[in-house]
Amino acid sequence: MKQSAIIFSILALGFSLQVHAKSGNAEAGKAKSATCAACHGETGVSTTPSFPNLAGQYSDYLYQALKDYKSGKRKNAIMAGQVQNLSDQDMADLAAYFSKLKGLSIKY
Amino acid sequence: MKHTTMTLCAAMLLTLAVPVQAAGDPQAGRQKNSMCAGCHGIPGWRTAYPGVYSVPKLGGQHAEYIVAALQAYKSGERSHPSMKGIAGSLSDQDMEDLAAYYASSYSGPAK
Repeated sequence: MKQSAIIFSILALGFSLQVHAKSGNAEAGKAKSATCAACHGETGVSTTPSFPNLAGQYSDYLYQALKDYKSGKRKNAIMAGQVQNLSDQDMADLAAYFSKLKGLSIKY
Repeated sequence: MKHTTMTLCAAMLLTLAVPVQAAGDPQAGRQKNSMCAGCHGIPGWRTAYPGVYSVPKLGGQHAEYIVAALQAYKSGERSHPSMKGIAGSLSDQDMEDLAAYYASSYSGPAK
């Protein structure tokens, strides 16, 4: 009984950490998105085809991409510079903002 | 005059000799996407390794970006075990076709 309570606590902690890391504020993200818009478009739809559209993309994917650029796991000369000064919260906020815009869709 | 004609002919022959990378064909891409659809075609599907996050949406993405991503997975510049394996099996033409399919509004049946 006690053991299951401990397991439950660990699980609960795990979930809360995960949620914390990924809960971004779209409004705050919008306020931080001016630099992104220069390449990815003001509405998250880029006019240059080598820059990906971000509008409507999953927020956890966008967040992961930003984190990977920052850690160096994903390499891109432009993005490496852009993410340098972004905090974890900034990345979550930006991801939340772009994911809420209308754009990309799931295509089978 | 003769010189100009010769130069023109040579230029034309050269153009023919350079292999042309055909633009992607959405319909051809539709016939090649069975490896993609199992993850990218399912709403909310997540990759579990090496990290857990949603598999990105591809519908409406720029073809040029998709090709660049596939090439980067193939070369190892971009790392994801499943994508490296899949992209490694694709030719340049396959990549162009798949990218054209996802970028386009075409969604005909797979034959």
